[in-house]
Amino acid sequence: MLKAVAQKSSNSLVFQTLPRHMRRRAMSHNVKRLPRRLQEMAKKEAEKAAHQKKEQSKNKCHKARRCHLNRTLEFNRRQKRNIWLETHIWHAKRFHMVKKWGYCLGERPTTKSHRACYRAMTNLCLLQDLSYYCCLELKGKEEEILKALSQMCSTDTGLTFAAVHCLSGKRQGSVMLYQANKYPRDMLGPVTFVWKSKTTPGDSSEDRQLWIWLHPTLKLAVLEEMKTTCQCSEPVTSSVCVPDPLLTPAQEESQPELTDDKIGKKRKRKDNEKSAQRTKKTIGDGTRDPCQPRSWVSPTTGIVISDLTMEMNRFRLIGPLSHCILTSALRAAPLHTGEEDAEETPHHWWTDTSKSSDGVFLHQRQEAVFQLLGGISSPAEIPAGSILGLTVRDPRVNLPPQRSRALPHLERYRDDEQVRQLLQEGVPLECTHSFIWNQEICSSVTENKIPDQDLNRMRSELLVPGSQLVLGPRESKIPILLIQQPGKVTGKDRLGWGSGWDVLLPKGWGMAFWIPFIFRGARVGGLKEATVHSQYRRSPNIPGDFPDCLAGVRFAEEQSKDLLEKYKRRPPAKRPNYVKLGTLAPFCCPWEQLTGDWESRVRASMPGAQDDPRRLEVPSVPGETCQPSNEAGISENQPTKPEVTGCEAHTGTEVVLGQGASENHAAATGSQLCVLRNRKLLRQLSAWCGPGSEARRAPCRGQQEELTRKACLSILDEFPRALVWVSLSLLRKGSPEPQTMICVPSEEDLLQLSQDQGYHGPRESKHSDPFKSLILKQKEKKKMEKRRNRELTAPEGLAAGAPTAGQKALTKGLWSGPLPGLTSHCSRLLLGFVTQGDFSMSVGCGEALGFVSVTGLLEMLSSQSAATRGLVLLRPPASLQYRFARLAIEV
Amino acid sequence: MAENREPRGAVEAELDPVEYTLRKRLPHRLPRRPNDIYVNMKTDFKAQLARCQKLLDGGSRGQSACAEIYIHGLGLAINRAINIALQLQAGSFGSLQVAANTSTVELVDELEPEIDSREPLTRIRNNSAIHIRVFRVTPK
Repeated sequence: MLKAVAQKSSNSLVFQTLPRHMRRRAMSHNVKRLPRRLQEMAKKEAEKAAHQKKEQSKNKCHKARRCHLNRTLEFNRRQKRNIWLETHIWHAKRFHMVKKWGYCLGERPTTKSHRACYRAMTNLCLLQDLSYYCCLELKGKEEEILKALSQMCSTDTGLTFAAVHCLSGKRQGSVMLYQANKYPRDMLGPVTFVWKSKTTPGDSSEDRQLWIWLHPTLKLAVLEEMKTTCQCSEPVTSSVCVPDPLLTPAQEESQPELTDDKIGKKRKRKDNEKSAQRTKKTIGDGTRDPCQPRSWVSPTTGIVISDLTMEMNRFRLIGPLSHCILTSALRAAPLHTGEEDAEETPHHWWTDTSKSSDGVFLHQRQEAVFQLLGGISSPAEIPAGSILGLTVRDPRVNLPPQRSRALPHLERYRDDEQVRQLLQEGVPLECTHSFIWNQEICSSVTENKIPDQDLNRMRSELLVPGSQLVLGPRESKIPILLIQQPGKVTGKDRLGWGSGWDVLLPKGWGMAFWIPFIFRGARVGGLKEATVHSQYRRSPNIPGDFPDCLAGVRFAEEQSKDLLEKYKRRPPAKRPNYVKLGTLAPFCCPWEQLTGDWESRVRASMPGAQDDPRRLEVPSVPGETCQPSNEAGISENQPTKPEVTGCEAHTGTEVVLGQGASENHAAATGSQLCVLRNRKLLRQLSAWCGPGSEARRAPCRGQQEELTRKACLSILDEFPRALVWVSLSLLRKGSPEPQTMICVPSEEDLLQLSQDQGYHGPRESKHSDPFKSLILKQKEKKKMEKRRNRELTAPEGLAAGAPTAGQKALTKGLWSGPLPGLTSHCSRLLLGFVTQGDFSMSVGCGEALGFVSVTGLLEMLSSQSAATRGLVLLRPPASLQYRFARLAIEV
Repeated sequence: MAENREPRGAVEAELDPVEYTLRKRLPHRLPRRPNDIYVNMKTDFKAQLARCQKLLDGGSRGQSACAEIYIHGLGLAINRAINIALQLQAGSFGSLQVAANTSTVELVDELEPEIDSREPLTRIRNNSAIHIRVFRVTPK
């Protein structure tokens, strides 16, 4: 340490050079907190810094700002534009926060914890706050709901809302939503759903309740589509008339805030008095207008759709220790026994339940099942999507005095009939019941929460400090719902990785459960950890990996804009010249053009096989607005041009013949981009991709088709412009990054790979930069104009400057104008792009996920021999080196 | 854990592959003590051997040496577990002894339905496992 401090570099303060364990809080303010030897130096530094410090403009003194009332006001004001989660303050102290999708969300921890979070997911437990996920509730007759929703999903993509085990309420299901009757186009997004179980005591009516959970970016589109399909047009007025009592104060509080600008002492006191009764923390959605309708009813079908966004908290626990954490943090609620309790307790619903024998029996069964979980070492051992309802005690009461790690106990492990039944059949159907489905109970639970302050006071008044607090009947009982999340289920390796439990809580109780989970040893992750989780599970990330749905397109646009800005911030000499590297689209993936290119390429290669007018549609350039191309761009285009024109000329002759036959087909599929999600086709493709997999699979799957021209054509006919989700793992060196290009290897590459052990892949030759001279010319022109302007008078100069600015300036190192033929721009044919890619800590080599064109994939597979089938080349946008990777489609 | 490769022709013969997808679940496991080693077929053999040796010798960071370790192998990895134990014994100049136990492990296969009208099924499959105790004896 001495050495470190002695060699202090000039641009760090003394206390910054101390090793981490010797640092103390407020060291920068108080010199005396430093070791005595260093105090001298620090004093000098502090004096220096004091001069440089800017005078802060504050309208209130520190003490006033820290006052609880003012703080609540301020917090309520700040969450008016972006919704804060209940754990916001906790996160804001420890995370890099981002404003996304109308929320303030923690992106990644400020500590260096990438690997630690991965370890938590694999061996321990990672906690995430997913309360920003939106919940839509559908209430109505089962047949009506199913009839309406069946238009929005297809049985081709897997199970739908009507799957038997989901419909009974036993399991959570997941489904891809499309616009009504538009499958396979017009994707809306992936959702998960939970049906309320039928066998609920005291619920005799036939109305079913369905919760659909989805990402906030998808909500608007899904809600609108659902309203149309269910014909729910009339907003329900009852919920508007009774606005949430907790929401209204937030609205009123805007008035005192405005007056705070001029601080008069009188006014201040008045404010305090006024808001003393009504200042309440905003719980739930602070941005929403209370008069806005949140539920809609259908006059014909009787379905009620309501938007339950921010009405519940959703915490996700990932990893094998999540069982230990759950069982040690949560305790089943004690039953109310005595009659005298009835007067004391505010929790009448629980007293009622305790009186009915059915309720007691059910509660005891749920508790028994929950206790069994403690003896199961991983959530992956329980059937996927199992649901367990429970009523628990206030978890703040049995909070351990210190943060510790809940470890599995060997005594809890049992190997008897009960455990076996749980593992095989999952949680029994009746145990899925939870009071969280009941809105009234939930709101009463939220209202009757004992504030942290009161609880702490009661704790401090205990006769024996540190002993258990006994609240008796006043203690809150919280209904919760536990949903098992399956980890990695596809593929062959690392099965069950990343499985865990989701905990649904009524609103207002977020922090009360958050801290106990952390005190049992859960590590918290943010949005970045969520992407890592989905990447290692090889599942598409919402919304980035859904290029065919609106949210995905918007996400890609934003991402490309960010990346472009970041790129432009660097000096031209210090950034890669993408034109020279042969990277046409380094920031976005032009899916439309890619699939279009492949379509026309395949058509050109097999004349007369099939033709339809779709081919004529020149691939449109998505996203970018293009200026008319310049001479250089055209000259660059020339090598690819003859091919395109040849193809077009060819079509011209046969359009008339093919038109009639393919017209209906074109109407069915269109030229629009779609992602292949048909499970049957995916399974077929995945069988074709693996090397020699056909031979191994042949005995068990008799009707697996061979990879023939005919089979390919049948797929291409149905999906002319489709993408397919693939996973890639690097054979040797290399770690891919997003926007990495997936290319088709040539035969020489494969030959060399088989011969040479140390062969990493071919290299792309450098491209010429046709824009360089143009940029130079532009610069000169600008200079000339400037000179001319200087000669002219000032106001005229301003006017002359405008038109040059209006013309889009060329950026050095980026392709401007419309992109030329994407697929054949480089020496290897382009197949697709990577959307997520990194060095994988679980496999120990580079891994990537992305989309490839189905047309291109089939073309490549049919030309490769069985031994090398599925090998592709990857090239990052800023590199000339290709690397070999194996492509796989996991179903 | 070893990947459990068993002839599954018999299992799948009676089920329509169109209606169900087979998903294998990981074996039920107990919490691991520090001296338990689960052998798999994916990690390099030498690395696994070195890991066992290190546990027996005591680590470099002053960890105390274990007097005994347990090597577990399931299915295909049984061979490898035996191999590791015997290699340890051979390389110890008689200071290590082995004692083996065999057992049967129940594995759960999940059959996920592909069509809405089917319930998910599970079936139990048995696989053999070996647990080898490698322990130190004082050489005579």
